[in-house]
Amino acid sequence: MLRFIGVRLVQMSLLFLVFLTLLFFLLQAQPGDFSRQFLDPNIPAENRDLIAARFGLDQPLWRQYLTYMGNILQGDLGVSFARYPRSVVSVISERLPRTFFLFTFATMLSYYLGFMLGKVLAWRRGGSQEMGITLGGVILYTVFYPWFALVMIWFFAAYLDLVPVNQFLTPIRWREAPFSANTVFASIIWSTLLLTVGLGLSLWASRKPDNLAQQRLIRWGGVGLSFALFLAFWLPSDRRTFATDIAHHAVLPIFTLALVAFAGVMLITRGSMLETLKEDYILTARAKGLAPKTIRDRHAARNALLPVTTSFVLGLAFIIGGGLITETVFSWPGMGELLLVSVQNQDIPVAIGSLAMVGALALIAHIVVDVLYVFLDPRIRYQ
Amino acid sequence: MTTPLVEDTSGLKSGQTLLEVDNLIMRYKTKQGYVSAVEDVSFVLHKGEALGLVGESGCGKTSIALSLLRLQADNGEIMGGSIKLGGKDLVPISEEEMRTHRWNDISMVFQGAMNSWNPVYRVGDQIKEALDLHWPTRLSRAEVRERIGELFALVGLPADAQDRYPHEFSGGMRQRAVIAMALSCNPQVIIADEPTTALDVIVQDQILKELKRIQDDLDMSIIYISHDIAVIAEVTDRMAVMYAGKMVEFGDTADIFSAPRHPYAWLLLSSTPSIVGPRRQLAPLEGEPPNLLDPPTGCRFNPRCPFATDQCRVEEPPLADIGGGHMVACWNYEDVPVGITAGGVA
Ligand SMILES: Nc1ncnc2c1ncn2[C@@H]1O[C@H](COP(=O)(O)OP(=O)(O)O)[C@@H](O)[C@H]1O
Ligand SMILES: [Mg+2]
Repeated sequence: MLRFIGVRLVQMSLLFLVFLTLLFFLLQAQPGDFSRQFLDPNIPAENRDLIAARFGLDQPLWRQYLTYMGNILQGDLGVSFARYPRSVVSVISERLPRTFFLFTFATMLSYYLGFMLGKVLAWRRGGSQEMGITLGGVILYTVFYPWFALVMIWFFAAYLDLVPVNQFLTPIRWREAPFSANTVFASIIWSTLLLTVGLGLSLWASRKPDNLAQQRLIRWGGVGLSFALFLAFWLPSDRRTFATDIAHHAVLPIFTLALVAFAGVMLITRGSMLETLKEDYILTARAKGLAPKTIRDRHAARNALLPVTTSFVLGLAFIIGGGLITETVFSWPGMGELLLVSVQNQDIPVAIGSLAMVGALALIAHIVVDVLYVFLDPRIRYQ
Repeated sequence: MTTPLVEDTSGLKSGQTLLEVDNLIMRYKTKQGYVSAVEDVSFVLHKGEALGLVGESGCGKTSIALSLLRLQADNGEIMGGSIKLGGKDLVPISEEEMRTHRWNDISMVFQGAMNSWNPVYRVGDQIKEALDLHWPTRLSRAEVRERIGELFALVGLPADAQDRYPHEFSGGMRQRAVIAMALSCNPQVIIADEPTTALDVIVQDQILKELKRIQDDLDMSIIYISHDIAVIAEVTDRMAVMYAGKMVEFGDTADIFSAPRHPYAWLLLSSTPSIVGPRRQLAPLEGEPPNLLDPPTGCRFNPRCPFATDQCRVEEPPLADIGGGHMVACWNYEDVPVGITAGGVA
């Protein structure tokens, strides 16, 4: 197993190098150059050359490439042209957590809901309810996403006024704030991450003991403890109101992204579940006298999960693309928005940096799913 | 172990009536109409007996087996008759109550048992699932392991095989493990539906012998289903011949083998390579079983029957006792030659 992860990591690193190289040359091939965008057109030519030389832009392309690769591998992504002299790393490290948060939450939500609903749909096949939900899923799955996002904003933010329109936070409330939005956001991420780990651990540990009472004790004790710790951290904290402000802003983009991704998951689960239900071992499970719910969840859904997991890797590009659109439409200041603006502005270091990050995230997600698959399907043993 | 590995839970003595099926009718509802897959079938299974069901593919053998567990496909419906297990009729009880009888009282080795295992769980855990559900007391993990280990020894598998996944087993091992699982909850009846059909001949023979040995040792009651009459001859005490959803002949396996009285049984036997002598094709069995959406009127076998008369095309023959518990549903059974079948002459 460890060896498999090692091999995968090496493969992915090589792929990442190729990706970086492609990035560099693709962005070089773009029309226009930075001087037109960022420098006063009236400055004398020799000064302009001097500035270009300071950035290393007078060097031949291959020298630039080698410097670029060398620097990236050392974790130096250069400085932003548009936000000079801020370094790209500092710009990205501010943005990345926000995207990570949005993306992870929406993905988990969509997979959880999509899987749950998909399996129930397949189980109760036939009937108008199932038809209606499936049809709704197909519509959501094929809808033009930017338009859908705008409709969501109009309905929930403008019409119902349930959530704020766009943005990451409400600036007025933060004017007097004794800490930056990034620090508060970091606490949000860490605390939810720990909460998730706590919940996961309780569920995992609750399977170990032999008797039901102990299992229940560990499960609900662990869940209760995790939530108690989470609340104990936030309730007395002076950051609480600020955190709620951010969370309030995050609801709609997460929900919208999750809704669109969810439809695909639901349809795939439904199809995969219908196939699984025809298998012989389902008949065996019924003959054993198991309860319908046990057959559905433990036997059918557990196997239907495999194609759904595969679909995650295939759908990654879709979710990332959806993420970029979400950030733009909701003015959520994350990586997607950063990428879009930097490409428009010819802020090449930032564009390269953000694309590299998105690429790295995608590759990491790939490895995670590969590893997950080994746990889910015992027939697969990586050598 | 002080108690026997597989305990008798029926409280019956060998030879007493265990399962009594009366006039069972099960039909599948399709867009084109009803498929009459089980039509008026009656039989009795005694304690410690091996009963065979034989017939070509599509004659309703699997449908009978599944009906006994009330596991027929969603479109199948039991439309009449009774299935009495130890005197209690299983047809009218609720689905929930039926679940407590499945595997606990009647377990099954399925046709194509190779695929009976869920690929993502260890074999032992899948047997444990049945024990957790049905065993009268709650067994600890160690006790479950011990029991599965003993069951595995009984079917010729090493005890630690329970920790493996189904894909790590060969076809024969998977089938043995299925038998162990079928025995796990001390069922009163085991139904084995084509238990060896998917295996190669040598493994098939080993497993049949093993099943026979287990059945004798433990005084098990088994319903054996096969399209292969040679298999039925080898392992059963009494047998029923099924044709197109109906039972056409019933009696001691030895009697039917030496003198089949129904033309279908006679043809089936004479077109099968003999176990005791060379194959002698006397009268070939031509054609196929009818479409059960619209079975022939009169005797369902009449279109393929060399002895058919006008009466056979109109009037359905009842299953009648011709002496000594040997039952035949045929108007002209006396025309069927005696003693010149491949299996009979030896
Ligand atoms: N779900 C179903 N719907 C309609 N017809 C069915 C269904 N299952 C089986 N049948 C039909 O019922 C008949 C008996 O099938 P089966 O019990 O599988 O026979 P056997 O086990 O003897 O081969 C066949 O004609 C088959 O086509
Ligand atoms: Mg069959």
